[in-house]
Amino acid sequence: MSENKLTQTDATLNPPTTDLVNIKINGVAVKVPKGENIIESARRVGVDIPYFCYHPRLSKGDAANCRMCLIEVASTAPDGSVRKMPKPQAACTMPASEGLVVETETPAIIKDRKGILEFLLINHPLDCPVCDRGGECPLQNNTLFYGPPTSRFIEEKRHYPKSYPLSEHVVFDRERCIQCARCTRFTEDISGDSQLGFLKRGADIEVGSFASTAYQSKFSGNVIELCPVGALLSRNYRFKARPWDLLTQKSICTQCSNGCNIKYDYRVDKIQRVNARLNEDVNEEWTCDRGKFGHDYISADSRLREPLVKRGGKWHPISWTEAYALVAEKFKAAGSNVAGIGGANATNEDNFAFQKFFRETLKSSNIDHRLGAYQGPGAGPIFSRLGYHTTGTTIAELESAKTIFLLGTELADEQPILFLRVRKAARFKGAAIVNALDRAVADTTSASDFADVDLLYRPGTEVALLNGVLNVLFSKELVAAQDGLDFSGLQSAVAEWTPEKAAAETGVSAESIVRAAELLARGSVAVIAGKTVTEHAYYTDIAAVLANLVIAVGSPAGLNIPVTDFNAQGAADMGVLPDYGPGYTPVASAGLNTRGILQAAASGSLGALWIVGAELLEQYADTKLAESALENCQFIVMNALSLTPTASMADLILPVASAAEKDGTVTSCERRIQRIYRAFDISGNVKPDWLVFTEVAELLGGGAPYVSARDIWRDIAQTIPTHSSITLKSLGESGIRWQYAHPAPKPTVAAAPYKAPAAAGTSRA
Amino acid sequence: MKRSETEGKHRMSTANNNNVSDRQPLPPPTPERRFSEQAHAELEEIASHYPERKAACLPALWLAQREYGGHLTPAALQEVADNLGLSYVEVEGVATFYTMYNTRPRGRHHLEVCTCLSCAVNGAYDIVHKLEHELGVHLGGTTPDGEFTLSEAECLDFCGAATVMQVGDHYFTQLTTENIMGLIDELRGSENYTPAKLADSIVKILQPGSSLTGGGSYTPDSLEQPAGPML
Repeated sequence: MSENKLTQTDATLNPPTTDLVNIKINGVAVKVPKGENIIESARRVGVDIPYFCYHPRLSKGDAANCRMCLIEVASTAPDGSVRKMPKPQAACTMPASEGLVVETETPAIIKDRKGILEFLLINHPLDCPVCDRGGECPLQNNTLFYGPPTSRFIEEKRHYPKSYPLSEHVVFDRERCIQCARCTRFTEDISGDSQLGFLKRGADIEVGSFASTAYQSKFSGNVIELCPVGALLSRNYRFKARPWDLLTQKSICTQCSNGCNIKYDYRVDKIQRVNARLNEDVNEEWTCDRGKFGHDYISADSRLREPLVKRGGKWHPISWTEAYALVAEKFKAAGSNVAGIGGANATNEDNFAFQKFFRETLKSSNIDHRLGAYQGPGAGPIFSRLGYHTTGTTIAELESAKTIFLLGTELADEQPILFLRVRKAARFKGAAIVNALDRAVADTTSASDFADVDLLYRPGTEVALLNGVLNVLFSKELVAAQDGLDFSGLQSAVAEWTPEKAAAETGVSAESIVRAAELLARGSVAVIAGKTVTEHAYYTDIAAVLANLVIAVGSPAGLNIPVTDFNAQGAADMGVLPDYGPGYTPVASAGLNTRGILQAAASGSLGALWIVGAELLEQYADTKLAESALENCQFIVMNALSLTPTASMADLILPVASAAEKDGTVTSCERRIQRIYRAFDISGNVKPDWLVFTEVAELLGGGAPYVSARDIWRDIAQTIPTHSSITLKSLGESGIRWQYAHPAPKPTVAAAPYKAPAAAGTSRA
Repeated sequence: MKRSETEGKHRMSTANNNNVSDRQPLPPPTPERRFSEQAHAELEEIASHYPERKAACLPALWLAQREYGGHLTPAALQEVADNLGLSYVEVEGVATFYTMYNTRPRGRHHLEVCTCLSCAVNGAYDIVHKLEHELGVHLGGTTPDGEFTLSEAECLDFCGAATVMQVGDHYFTQLTTENIMGLIDELRGSENYTPAKLADSIVKILQPGSSLTGGGSYTPDSLEQPAGPML
């Protein structure tokens, strides 16, 4: 039941203060934090107060408008006498105070609830038989437990169109709306795009978007789950199933690297919808639209169900035995002149088996999971100086940052859940946001809307901008002296970068640079750098200056350059890198990276190439090279879900299991290891990637025969010291963030040269 | 109403509605910037009275109604929102909440007949019916020539001179079915453009040292000369 997650108290929004007060709820004395609302306090003693509009994660601005949570309260005077307030109060906005006496089940309250529900149902169409929410509907449930059995309303109900298309994904049934304001508060508080609001008033009041335009947000799907009635509906899921006919399996969203906890709701081996699963450390209870609506591929008709071999330019289905024989023959013939690309979308177990197959069975280190310019983990230029490869801050820790610096990222697009935390930090925690980007973003969901300082710099001038900020930090003496750190070299290196010079170079005003520096000097800084930085030709320089920045402001653990692909972090951890084995142990002789592999394939010298789900034609920046490699490689086998453009250029396609059809673990961009579970099997003959590698390894003679993903995890834990204490059981519900075994290195300061962009707009790789 | 009467009318409109309605959301309106420099100055003056700019939303909407020719178009709402740092839908919510903001075009003269108690017992509805008949519009409607919009007003606080009708900034008092059409003819011939003017007086209220209103009280005989007490 999606409503269950709301019963969790968000300790961060309602911080338990040390200040406790004594209150009495239905005769039970209890100590609760001062100021806590009575709905939460009542939960502590097992008393349920019904509500619709209240939500612990939303601001209280418009709450107390459904009137469902009415209670009777009284205060205790110092002499012990109890004075009752004459009228019922809304529990959701009633703060706990010393001596408060609460009654939730008095005859008056029972009658009030009946009255409220009778009013709410006057215009509600009661079309539960055709409503998606039927069976998991707070309005149904509250009516069942607290409502009147009959209505006195015999007049005609109001009528509105039943299926108003609010957005690309959300359909709005205005008749069912009870005006709780959860969706409008969501767009304002959580996603920050303020796209929904109340229009008109009185009996005509309605939720709407501005001037009947489309509700545009990257997080619109959340309002479907938030809606306490069936007013906001998913266009995809509408009329597809009854909630009680759905089976549910826990999983992790595959659409990006944030590691959102989700649930697949499926029926007859077909995913019907995706809902968020509570994980306070990651996504809280939100999803982005890509995650919520992007899993259709799992149940798509285009899924491959048999291995396919290309003969005479045409695809022929063959058995796995034949396919394996072909792979074994080709790879045996090629010896160690083989390579593998991919793994960023496969599980840790798949990747471990993948690299083990190449390194141990084929004796080749030509493997790489990276398709973009970002070399990410492994070749991270910040590792030696800061002690971590990609992320120093957890997603949840972003909340406690005083200042968050976003550099070169459309965060809502690249890292949606990080974006929501940044928004939360800005809206509820008073964090200052500095947003620097080389282009204006037209999206409705954008950090520039709520940034304290918005720096729009000329493309390619990141280093100049950062040097300008560093210059201000030093010249205004905002950098505190740190033990054993000598900033004098850096200080003189950036001395020439006065705000005026940086302003002239970057096109940002000098005042904004000074203001940004002042905000960064507040300490407790988190920096998030995005694609514009990672795909930059001078990425290494920018990363070096960013490292200087976080060290100078005293937050050496504050730099984050997160990966973007689903399990790119895990693939790197597992050693799908040409130069590092599992756990980042350097290999004796480094193999070819993606570019090297593709060049070898394009020249025709590569014997055999194994592509593990990597869409080279779509994702690799140098499309020409990718095309030429796919055309000229002697033999290509690809693990694929469907016949994508890249797959159609292979010689052999092995149909593999999607994330919903296999067990395993994945590692999110913050290094959090979380489990995915097999929900169902699609009809057909698909296998998880790890099983394919294991079986082929056996044919070629070598490799440990794994019989399950659990088996491989055991091997991973034995191989990688940082994973050694982690068992599948210990991962629990919220996963474990693996920690580097070495202590954080002493930060070092090193100035980086600034290379001016040749011409505006041409500097990005 | 008896139950049997409602049953026939009640429709379950969900039954055969598997598809999302064809009605697609409108494209975003083209941004316009119609605030004059003077209007911007007025807006800043008003905003300076409040601790946050959001508080200036109501007077800003009056300004917009004036600057956009009598009613608030989506572009007008956008300009107000952009000026005050609010979201578009929030401003639309305010503009649609209050009945005195026009979200649709109004006639050149906005006739608002008071139909509260004192006026009602003095024949306000006779006047309304007469106007409806003579102008050929219903309450809330606008004449095809764009001259008049007819609507009902709640108490105009001028009960001593019932029946009262407000046209723009002007109150017309002691109206009867006999003298009302003479007034209409006078208005038809006048140069005045009335619906947006109220914005001026409301805005002026906020300017220190100015008189409280630009409006006055009139009888049909004294259209040219203001008479009676200021509001």
